[in-house]
Amino acid sequence: MGEGRQRTNWVLLSLMLSAVAAWLTLDAVSVAPNRIVPGSAYTAREVMDGWPALLLALPMLAVAVLAWQPTRKGLRLALVAVVALLTLLPLWLSAATAVLVESDMPRARVGIGSALWLLLFLLLLALIELRTRLGLSRPMGWLLLVPMGAGWWLALTLWLEPLALLREYQARSDQFITALAMHLVLVGAAVGASLVLASLLALAMRRHAGIRRAGFGVLNFLQTIPSLALFGLLLAPLAWLGSRIDWLSAIGVSGIGWAPAFLALLGYSLLPMVRNIHVALEEVDPAVVESARGMGMNRSQVFLQVRLPLALPVVLEGIRITTVQAIGLTAVAALIGAGGLGTFIFQGLGQAAMDMVLLGALPIIGLALMADALFGSLSERLRPGGAA
Amino acid sequence: MIELFDVTKRFGNDTAVDGISLRIEKGELCALVGTSGCGKSTTLRMINRLIEHDGGEIHLDGQPVRNFDEVTLRRRIGYVIQSTGLFPHWTVARNIGLVPRLLKWPKGRVRERVEELMQLLGLPVAEFADKYPRQLSGGQAQRVGVARALAADPDILLMDEPFGALDPITRETLQHEMRELQARLHKTIVFVTHDMDEALALADRLVVMHQGRVVQQGRPIELLHDPVNPFVESLLGGMDRGLKEAALIRVSERMLPLGPRLLASERIAYGASLSQALSVMLWHQVDRLTVVDEEDIPIGELSLRRLLGAKAS
Amino acid sequence: MKPASLTGNRLTPLARQRLWLAPLVWLALLLLLAAGMGQLEWLFRLVEPDMREVIYRRAGFFSLLGQHILVVGAASLLAVVLGVGAAIAVTRPAGRDFLPLVSQLASIGQTFPPVAVLALAVPALGFGTLPIIVALLLYGLLPIVRNTLAGIASIDLDVHEAARGMGMTAGQVLRQVELPLAAPVILAGIRTSVTINIATAALGATVGASNLGDPIISGIVNGNTAYILQGALLIGLLAIAVDSVFERLIPGNPG
Repeated sequence: MGEGRQRTNWVLLSLMLSAVAAWLTLDAVSVAPNRIVPGSAYTAREVMDGWPALLLALPMLAVAVLAWQPTRKGLRLALVAVVALLTLLPLWLSAATAVLVESDMPRARVGIGSALWLLLFLLLLALIELRTRLGLSRPMGWLLLVPMGAGWWLALTLWLEPLALLREYQARSDQFITALAMHLVLVGAAVGASLVLASLLALAMRRHAGIRRAGFGVLNFLQTIPSLALFGLLLAPLAWLGSRIDWLSAIGVSGIGWAPAFLALLGYSLLPMVRNIHVALEEVDPAVVESARGMGMNRSQVFLQVRLPLALPVVLEGIRITTVQAIGLTAVAALIGAGGLGTFIFQGLGQAAMDMVLLGALPIIGLALMADALFGSLSERLRPGGAA
Repeated sequence: MIELFDVTKRFGNDTAVDGISLRIEKGELCALVGTSGCGKSTTLRMINRLIEHDGGEIHLDGQPVRNFDEVTLRRRIGYVIQSTGLFPHWTVARNIGLVPRLLKWPKGRVRERVEELMQLLGLPVAEFADKYPRQLSGGQAQRVGVARALAADPDILLMDEPFGALDPITRETLQHEMRELQARLHKTIVFVTHDMDEALALADRLVVMHQGRVVQQGRPIELLHDPVNPFVESLLGGMDRGLKEAALIRVSERMLPLGPRLLASERIAYGASLSQALSVMLWHQVDRLTVVDEEDIPIGELSLRRLLGAKAS
Repeated sequence: MKPASLTGNRLTPLARQRLWLAPLVWLALLLLLAAGMGQLEWLFRLVEPDMREVIYRRAGFFSLLGQHILVVGAASLLAVVLGVGAAIAVTRPAGRDFLPLVSQLASIGQTFPPVAVLALAVPALGFGTLPIIVALLLYGLLPIVRNTLAGIASIDLDVHEAARGMGMTAGQVLRQVELPLAAPVILAGIRTSVTINIATAALGATVGASNLGDPIISGIVNGNTAYILQGALLIGLLAIAVDSVFERLIPGNPG
């Protein structure tokens, strides 16, 4: 497309108008004197007489105007504005905190209001839209988030001490690290074990159609069963095993804890993993294999030099799906005492402590997004012919 | 009758069709030929407004196509494309009956029309009516495609490389049937192809396009004899032009009545083309052929001199 | 893929009945278990010999099952309407501007673990059944939108072109060509969505909804494995029964 004017970008326009509306009308921040007392909420207009809020609304309106008759240059400018806004949000929050929290409130907790969340969401959508329209690469898209990350980091380390989420973290930072580690260990173990098992299974499936049918049947069936139910169903037999067999209980196998969680995670992980490995091995272009044979490669050469490199991206795709799924399921496993970040979610829900829920939920979402991006780009890179 | 007056189409900064004017008479089969990307398909699709033209006017029987509602317009015009575009979830019969049903014909009449068309195109109703497109061979699928386009008996047929994806033998069969069909139906047909032999064999009129413009148009024989520039010449086959022309002329046009001489040993059907006759001569290394009719009865003879176009001697 | 799947509607009545046998059996098992859990007391007694109470009695299993189905049903129904509707809207000329964003959102959104979405719904909407329905709806939208987009995108461009060229109106193309051809993929998306919803709804017991997740949570809290088993069995059966219905519904998937 040329440099010429394009049609109105309704997406950007509506995103920005909703952002302005949400920003100026909904509650942006709340302050409570301590953890127990419910706080009082403020809209952005009520903080510092509202002029910083209006100042922040200006770039949003500017982007909306740029979206009316977008040029490439205009869209670039809009991108800069959106990135700047995302970076300024934590700074605004810091300023609001400084103004709203008085020095006689040492236990004051600042909560992030719906306006701020919504604005964050809408701005990220705008970022995605602009990235697509400008044809920026995926890594470039991640790079655009760096200023925002820096802004939040700066605000969190310097000024946002009263932020409820941060207070919640500081109160149990050791617990948090342990939970995070447990979460990662469980996910890693389940994905690793399922990779090994699934490879064996997929190889066996290539040999015998019977195993293929039965295997997929069982795994599909397993995948259908809700996680909570599967965890529950594993409790009884494992409890029984743990109480009867000494060495099992010695390594910690019991109805509650890591054992049922690990087994269930493994069960869920097998289907996507087996499916992708199977597809990867099966769907290598027969013409390629035939020509490899024709050139005089033997079976193992064909496997190692042709099938495997061609299959690798698909297998990585399987690892991606499995990992993302396992990160979510491990959160549920907290219910049966497996630990992990889910602990904070369910404890928080139990105590109606929403910041604690966030302390669990946000890192889980972050982990899932990171795993998705990592394995996604890896599989993209390994795709024959390089990244698209 | 279809008329194009100075029609232009741009995609972004590219001009796909650059001010072309054409007049396609009623009952005429007009072939648009040219290399890929020359704008021939775009031209075709502007006629039924699958693509809207930017400049100029397109008239259908004297009316600008823009005056028609586009849906009504398309229902009046048959449309056949290379990949058939048959609906994979519908049976052959349902596919063929599409436009009549869109036009709300009564059920019985739709069924009758579908069966009539299936017979016309050599698709036995009992065998094919309930089949799905994926169960058809390429040639059968394209027959269904043609039947579907003819279903509501449109005056105009637009065909976009209809036989382009078929194997040579099937293609030739369908071209032959197409010729016979046209001899009976006298539709106004605009036919896009990049296969010059196909265009020469089927067209009443050839329109050669290049870079969005009409380079030359006329009867096939005229173009063969008088290409305006080297591009048309090479498109028409360069050194093979003689053979292409010979393929357009029937043996019956050049043969002489049986003379007093002995019959030549090799025979050729009177409906065959001169290029086929030449091939037989080359193969058997003879310079004289006996021309026979459908019942293999000698009715004349053809000498190499006559084949080459010499007057009777 | 085989012609047999396309002629599925012309199977003999007997074969057709057999196709529906599996879902019916699972459904019957589910209802039987919900009704007759009390009769199995001796069995659960074996699991928890020391407990005073081995059958969950805080609410009837039927009402729990009903609640579960109601929540999942309401959320899924809304998700289908909104999801398919949104996907159709962004594939029409008027809404096409929104297509890239919506399709990216649908795929990024699916990276979010459902439990995290459920957890986030609580601070936003509070405890109870409604937040769960909203959370399930939002999360359930994603696979439906994604699959509907994929289904429509997978339609051969030439089929689309032919449909327009034959003079079908935009509505006719949508109803007679696009939706029927995309139906298997859309149904697969709905299946994924419902499966996830059944599982996630069970977690709703932790945020104050009463459904089949209740016995499990309460069993975990009280250390009563029998409760856990009862809830787990019913949820498992529900999921399998619903899934087997979809198994029959999706063409080219005759079991």
